[in-house]
Amino acid sequence: MPENNKLARYAAIFEDIKAGDIMSSNVVEISAEKKIAHAKELMKIKKISGMPVVDEKKQLVGIISIEDIIHALEFNKINDPIRKIMSTQVVTIHKGDSLATVVDKFENYKYGRFPVVDDEKRVCGIISKEDILHGILEKFNLIYIHDQKRTSTLNTEYSAITGEQLKTEEAKFHYRIDSSDIDAAGTGAAMLKQFLTGKNFHSDIVRRVGVATYEAETNVVIHSRGQGDIYFFQDEDRFIVRVVDNGIGIEDLDKAMKEGYSTAPDYIRERGFGAGMGIANMKRFADKLVIISEKNAGTQVEMIFYLPTQTWPLI
Amino acid sequence: MIKVRDIVALLDAEVLSGESKLDEEVKSVGASDMISDILALTKPGMVVLTGYTYPQVIRTALVTDLLGLIVVRGKNIAPETIAYARENNFLLLRTRGYLYSSCGKIYATGLRGSDAGK
Ligand SMILES: Nc1ncnc2c1ncn2[C@@H]1O[C@H](COP(=O)(O)OP(=O)(O)O)[C@@H](O)[C@H]1O
Ligand SMILES: [Mg+2]
Repeated sequence: MPENNKLARYAAIFEDIKAGDIMSSNVVEISAEKKIAHAKELMKIKKISGMPVVDEKKQLVGIISIEDIIHALEFNKINDPIRKIMSTQVVTIHKGDSLATVVDKFENYKYGRFPVVDDEKRVCGIISKEDILHGILEKFNLIYIHDQKRTSTLNTEYSAITGEQLKTEEAKFHYRIDSSDIDAAGTGAAMLKQFLTGKNFHSDIVRRVGVATYEAETNVVIHSRGQGDIYFFQDEDRFIVRVVDNGIGIEDLDKAMKEGYSTAPDYIRERGFGAGMGIANMKRFADKLVIISEKNAGTQVEMIFYLPTQTWPLI
Repeated sequence: MIKVRDIVALLDAEVLSGESKLDEEVKSVGASDMISDILALTKPGMVVLTGYTYPQVIRTALVTDLLGLIVVRGKNIAPETIAYARENNFLLLRTRGYLYSSCGKIYATGLRGSDAGK
């Protein structure tokens, strides 16, 4: 397929994604009349590096960043109103803007995030690069990269979902999957579950990790004809599970994703496997799922589980 | 309230493992022979009837936080399966009843499955 046709096809897939669909809507905004010291405290507590500033009608009038605050501290202006130091040249995104427009903004201005406004110029959200990626993944709930780029994405240390670096030696849990023993299938998932139970995580998330990992692990044993590994990483707010193998790969993921589709032979079905529900179950139990695979080059399953969100104290 | 003990009596079942669970309450029940179905369709604390006896079924049940399994039709169960259940103090019962009748008897007590209300 010629390159530009391919691009047009991708663009069509994403056409109906609007800024409003992918923005984070729990945006922290602050009134222009509040003191700079107040903004400083809020940013510290919320761990953010910038905030939209609004007037009494909640309309966007500026943006305040950490740099502005450092500046105010230097010049002893920390008790001045925010209005005095905020930048008023704010590049915004409208909630009805298309994904293409959003991407253009990131290309043209080197900011990390943009406030999203409605028709009345009221702030309704904020978009970071990560939100774009999440939006796209949410659209599919799954991404399947099946082309030459795979060699550069499969087996790298970078998360296909978040772009974070995931060093295998920093995994909190690792299990080498023994594909020669069907009876051992799922042992790694059971051990991971036990590991998490021992760390007192909530039983619901532990169960979800257990089930989804179990499905990914049994796939390596049953289908891959190769060797595999389970890696578990923990971040502040999420778990990442990676199940990788160097086996025969999945030839047609569109098919493999359908509930009920299975290439498992009879002797495997006899053992209760091969219902064709594995990938569907991973989708059901993980918050995000990405499968990258290619024929004869192996399969990489990456799953994210968000820990229950903390509630911030009100100020 | 229906306890494991009541189900054991109702199905004239053998307790192969998990004796300490006999006084626990059974809240819901399911039946399946496919691993992925057990993983997808059950709820924590459920008791599941099955004809599936490989050690794998115990691992599946542990991963999904089931309360216990009931093997039907008096099937032979591999010693490894029973050993694995015992290691984990997991409730494993066996009845001579067939799947359909056993489910029917339990249903008649008022216990429902994970699709109840759907
Ligand atoms: N790691 C893997 N390596 C090769 N093929 C795989 C792998 N995982 C899944 N597949 C393919 O995807 C199909 C669907 O997987 P799944 O939904 O788990 O169903 P099942 O395991 O019951 O067949 C499998 O039948 C197999 O053809
Ligand atoms: Mg499977």
